[in-house]
Amino acid sequence: MALINQATKEIQLKIVYYGPPQGGKTSNLEKVHAEVEAAPEAKGKLTSLATNSDRTLFFDFLPLETAVIRGFKTKFQLFTVPGQVIYNTTRQLVLRGVDGLVFVADSQYDKMEENVHTFANMIQNLETLNQNIANIPYVLQYNKRDLPDVAPVDYLDFLLNNRDVQVPSFASSAVKGEGVFETLNMITRMLLHKLLTESGRKAA
Amino acid sequence: MFSLPLLISEDIAAMDAAMGEFVFNSGSRLVLFIDGGGFIVTRQGDCGNIDTATLGALAANSFAATQAIAKLIEDDTVTSLYQQGNETSLLILSVGEFGFLAVVFPAAIGVGSVKFYAEEMVSRVKRQLRDAHDRAPTQGLDLSALNLADATPLFRRRAAP
Repeated sequence: MALINQATKEIQLKIVYYGPPQGGKTSNLEKVHAEVEAAPEAKGKLTSLATNSDRTLFFDFLPLETAVIRGFKTKFQLFTVPGQVIYNTTRQLVLRGVDGLVFVADSQYDKMEENVHTFANMIQNLETLNQNIANIPYVLQYNKRDLPDVAPVDYLDFLLNNRDVQVPSFASSAVKGEGVFETLNMITRMLLHKLLTESGRKAA
Repeated sequence: MFSLPLLISEDIAAMDAAMGEFVFNSGSRLVLFIDGGGFIVTRQGDCGNIDTATLGALAANSFAATQAIAKLIEDDTVTSLYQQGNETSLLILSVGEFGFLAVVFPAAIGVGSVKFYAEEMVSRVKRQLRDAHDRAPTQGLDLSALNLADATPLFRRRAAP
């Protein structure tokens, strides 16, 4: 849930990168951290709680600050979840208070089943937290487009972007930085739009 | 990089012996040896209805988060983590680079008593793991890389001819 601090004029929004194991969630944050154009005080440290083999154990966390909007400083907290089956409860913990989601799908043909299962798992975990995917802004990122044996974007859209309302989707290669900022900019724009729309409604 | 050395049955038996004696002497309910990725290697005691797989994963998460906090406050060493409950408490003890031991015990037993008995158990388990490492220093296991909890690759329907 977005935190609005009237005293300090700050808004905090939480974005969680969700997806199958080794799909590129951590790579997204690493690229953002390495290449985002931001003042030193606006970009926090990338905290990664990982195993010895660099697989996410708990989460990766990157705080980012943007320019002031309507007199408020907007802070984005980017999180990733661990993808492996054993960490399902951990994913629920990281999803608490989520404002926006980026689903990072692995475009390789042999990962399609995993993509679909993980997407269903995300919806299930949100329901466990009394949240409805229909009320949470999210985007789809079809990662690893640089690899040889990848499914067409249309096929990925057919599998994953087939709900009543279609969401923005982006082709990406996170390790190369392609599509990473486009994805992040879209989800932040959607979040800010929702925030401004809701605050306008409340004011009225 | 491996999270565990290659373990043979004698290693597990030695660790089980140390852990079993600890459970008996301390009055604890359960002790789990968990690798850094949250996978349970071995255990002694009564699990009852406890979902030990989830407990292992969450204990690893807690320990990793605590270690990150320790770095922030400029102390790299976390040797134990204690969670006090009304009925049941949890003590997580570091076994160096190999993982940690999670002890579930009745809250009525003081954590000091559990820590006292645990000292020998930690020492014996660490020594066994060190011996296993020295036996084959270039080989090891990484249970998180094996993704053991995912059973989907185990049985698949044969493709139609």
